[in-house]
Amino acid sequence: MLKFVVRRVLWTIPIILLVIFMTFWMMRAIKGSPFRKSERAVPPAVLANLNRKFGLNKPWYVQYKRYVVDVAKADLGPSLVLRNQSVNDIVKEHFPVSAELGGLAMLLSMLVGIPLGIISALRVNTITDYTAQFFSNLGFAIPSFFTATLLIYFFAAKWRFFPTNGWDTAGSKVLPVIALSLFPLTYFVRLVRGQMLETLQQDYVRTAKAKGLRWRRIVVVHVLRNSLIPALTAAGPILGGLVTGSFIIENIFAIPGIGRYYVTSVQGRDYSTVMGITVLLSVLIIVANMFVDIMYGILDPRTREARS
Amino acid sequence: MALLEVDDLRTYFKTRAGEVHAVDGVSFAVDRGKTLGIVGESGCGKSVTALSIMGLLPPSGRTVSGSIRFEGRELTGMSQHELEDIRGRQIAMIFQDPMTSLNPTLTIGMQIVETMQRHLDLSRDDARKRAIELLDEVRIPSARQRLDDYPHRYSGGMRQRVMIAIALSCNPKLLIADEPTTALDVTVQAGILDLLDELREQHEMSMIIITHDMGVVAEAADDIAVMYAGQIVEQTSAEELFDHPEHPYTEALLGALPQLEAEGVREGRLTAIPGRPPDLLDPPPACRFAPRCPYASLGDSCTKEPPELREIRRGHLVRTAHPAGERAAREVEVAAR
Amino acid sequence: MAINPEEVEFRQDVVDRETGGDTYAAGAAIRQASLWRDAARRFTHNKAAVVSMVGFVLLLLYVVIVPLATPYDPNNVDFSLAYQAPSVHHPFGTDEFGRDLFVRTALGGRISIGIGFAATIAIMVVGILYGAISGFVGGWLDNALMRFLDALYGLPYLPFAIITLAIFGVVNFWTMVIALTVASWFTTARVMRGQIITLKENDYVRAAYAIGARWYRILFRHLLPNTLGVAIVFVFLELPNVVLGEAFLSFLGLGINPPNASWGSLAQDGYTQYLSHPILIVIPSIAIAWLILTAFFIADGLRDALDPRTQEHY
Repeated sequence: MLKFVVRRVLWTIPIILLVIFMTFWMMRAIKGSPFRKSERAVPPAVLANLNRKFGLNKPWYVQYKRYVVDVAKADLGPSLVLRNQSVNDIVKEHFPVSAELGGLAMLLSMLVGIPLGIISALRVNTITDYTAQFFSNLGFAIPSFFTATLLIYFFAAKWRFFPTNGWDTAGSKVLPVIALSLFPLTYFVRLVRGQMLETLQQDYVRTAKAKGLRWRRIVVVHVLRNSLIPALTAAGPILGGLVTGSFIIENIFAIPGIGRYYVTSVQGRDYSTVMGITVLLSVLIIVANMFVDIMYGILDPRTREARS
Repeated sequence: MALLEVDDLRTYFKTRAGEVHAVDGVSFAVDRGKTLGIVGESGCGKSVTALSIMGLLPPSGRTVSGSIRFEGRELTGMSQHELEDIRGRQIAMIFQDPMTSLNPTLTIGMQIVETMQRHLDLSRDDARKRAIELLDEVRIPSARQRLDDYPHRYSGGMRQRVMIAIALSCNPKLLIADEPTTALDVTVQAGILDLLDELREQHEMSMIIITHDMGVVAEAADDIAVMYAGQIVEQTSAEELFDHPEHPYTEALLGALPQLEAEGVREGRLTAIPGRPPDLLDPPPACRFAPRCPYASLGDSCTKEPPELREIRRGHLVRTAHPAGERAAREVEVAAR
Repeated sequence: MAINPEEVEFRQDVVDRETGGDTYAAGAAIRQASLWRDAARRFTHNKAAVVSMVGFVLLLLYVVIVPLATPYDPNNVDFSLAYQAPSVHHPFGTDEFGRDLFVRTALGGRISIGIGFAATIAIMVVGILYGAISGFVGGWLDNALMRFLDALYGLPYLPFAIITLAIFGVVNFWTMVIALTVASWFTTARVMRGQIITLKENDYVRAAYAIGARWYRILFRHLLPNTLGVAIVFVFLELPNVVLGEAFLSFLGLGINPPNASWGSLAQDGYTQYLSHPILIVIPSIAIAWLILTAFFIADGLRDALDPRTQEHY
């Protein structure tokens, strides 16, 4: 068991290295980027700073190694645009906001989505199920910028329950969290419902019934356990979806998070920040996937025993 | 009074194309301590009969009419809640595929113990002790150590034994075994059948064995009912069935059909029966076996009207217009002319 | 970015159904003939799928025909006509520049759907090639290629696309197609590889080897045609993802430049005026939702239709 965990953790390292490598090369490929030898369209002071930090005149493998070492030390370099701020500062300022937004959205989507999925499956092909299906279909088809706009239009602009933007008061957090949670929510509903329906068809559920066990016990002990564990595997795509969604939501609600900052960095040609945030998000996703894999391995006795 | 009495059971399934008559008028009785074998090919309704008794039909199926009486109590009207008290305790069932019939994420021990905790008033420790005894009874080696293993550590044959152990755990009066050996290797099959027989005797249980394999019921069953297309076509004691089969379908199942060259009778052996059973969506108003029957010809009554189940000898029921006895008699007649 | 949670298992399910329970003993050709006929029949029985197919085709007709038939110049600025409510002349009204929204939405559709199809096909081709090579060759190559994929999964969707666009320096139809393809092809690759591997184990493939068929014959005659059905389903699964991705990028201002507007850019434009003239964001959003919904139900219907096993068991 321990071997499995250790091996999975160790595998993450070359993957992260590869990701940094790819990001590194992509940054060098962008025209106008100071990472390109030919065009260093940056003021000399900043260039000197960058040179010191990234060793821009050294061969690429030295640059790469330096960058990796820096990332390992959690040092993402200086910003190209904000003279006296490093990427780390930027990240420290903006990342917690996104993390809070994403975390709350994830929580809300699970608290509402999972029970809805369970109820839909248990009452399959009834009005309850059809209604839940209908709304969840709408939820994944309607683009999030539209639902966010709808929310603002009614709840903020027209009825003035909440502010239209910002991230300072508790009230200002309500709409963006709801807007961001809608997509993962529908995802959970569909996923849990599907898993449960499949589990309910399994032979061992029939056996459990034949043993005369009470239905409630069958659902909780036999069905739910086996359905929710695979639902874990959704964590990967959901995290990806949250990252993508946050770009939009932060943009619409003017939330000072990392998604919004990423876009302004790209538009403002702050390449070191772009690279830094990309690497940060990538590492986050990879580590999250690793956790999911490990959790799945621990919870499912078949994989657990197969690997030990 | 027999332990289980099934009377004119009809179970239909709602499908997009219409209503399928999966079980269309089945009657039989199982006495205490006796074994009934229900034999037939896939789709003849034997499994559905068992599921009807247990009340385990899928949502699309329902028992439209008929009665199922267990120890005098009528099962067909019962709520799921009431049936849950009977299942596992009075009537137990084991299924065809042991590989998928056990929950892979729970230990074997848990799955045996939960049944006993449901129906009997046992503490967890007592239940575990009893579980180990049961595993010993079904001849699982090193039962105490293996109690907390997960199903994937057991082979197919062993899992089926576990299923049997679970089924017996609360001492049911009736055990229904639906194709208990079909999914197992031939070498393992005999062991399971022997075990079932032994346990049945020890626990003084009645048993219903459902199978498509005549060989299985030959040893195990006291009485046999042959099913075809949702109906019983022949029903008698095992001895009588093997010595004097009457229905052409039974004969085919037994693989014994003498070559007859008399007029009006098709020639040849019928070891593999060509053709398929009729569509049960709209059963034909005639003998359901007629299209495949070597003795039926166009003008016969059985092609216009379905034959009734009649007692051709004492304790021997058959549903055909061409029972073997009468065929033989006609033979003699023809030869005598 | 997968927008449908069932997608991963859905894809695997399609793969399983295509390959599992395969009892056809003869070669690929016979299998396909009856498969398509049965599939067509099953599809037409699926109400949701048929309705969606109709809706999808209607959408396609709309984006193709309306710009050809319209009397209005979609780029003509005429402030006197600005912000008109929907009417017979302008079914969707006009925008802040007096441009007819009906035709602009249709044109936007051409771009969005065009990018969608182009990228989806590119994803299929790259994914199938990568997956087929990896699965077919197996061994260390398969391992290496899959590890590389693992790394790609780590790069977040939007940033990946954004950086790719930045590398090109300009955002037009084709760079957008390439950027979206680059950011999305790996899920398909992984599934295709899984499919090829499963198919490889199939008995009729072994039989082909046994009679001495060469590897390219096996690959092209047996393995790839059987992925065709799966591929068609994936087209309709991937299309919504791509269209949504493009819409998001455009909404963030990183999309195709004006005056060519995709649905995403139209939405972004509409968003700036959502309080005063909400219709400007409503219309393109509904268009996007329409596409995603119809494509999804079609994919669902296709998946069920291509399942060679019967559904009713009793």
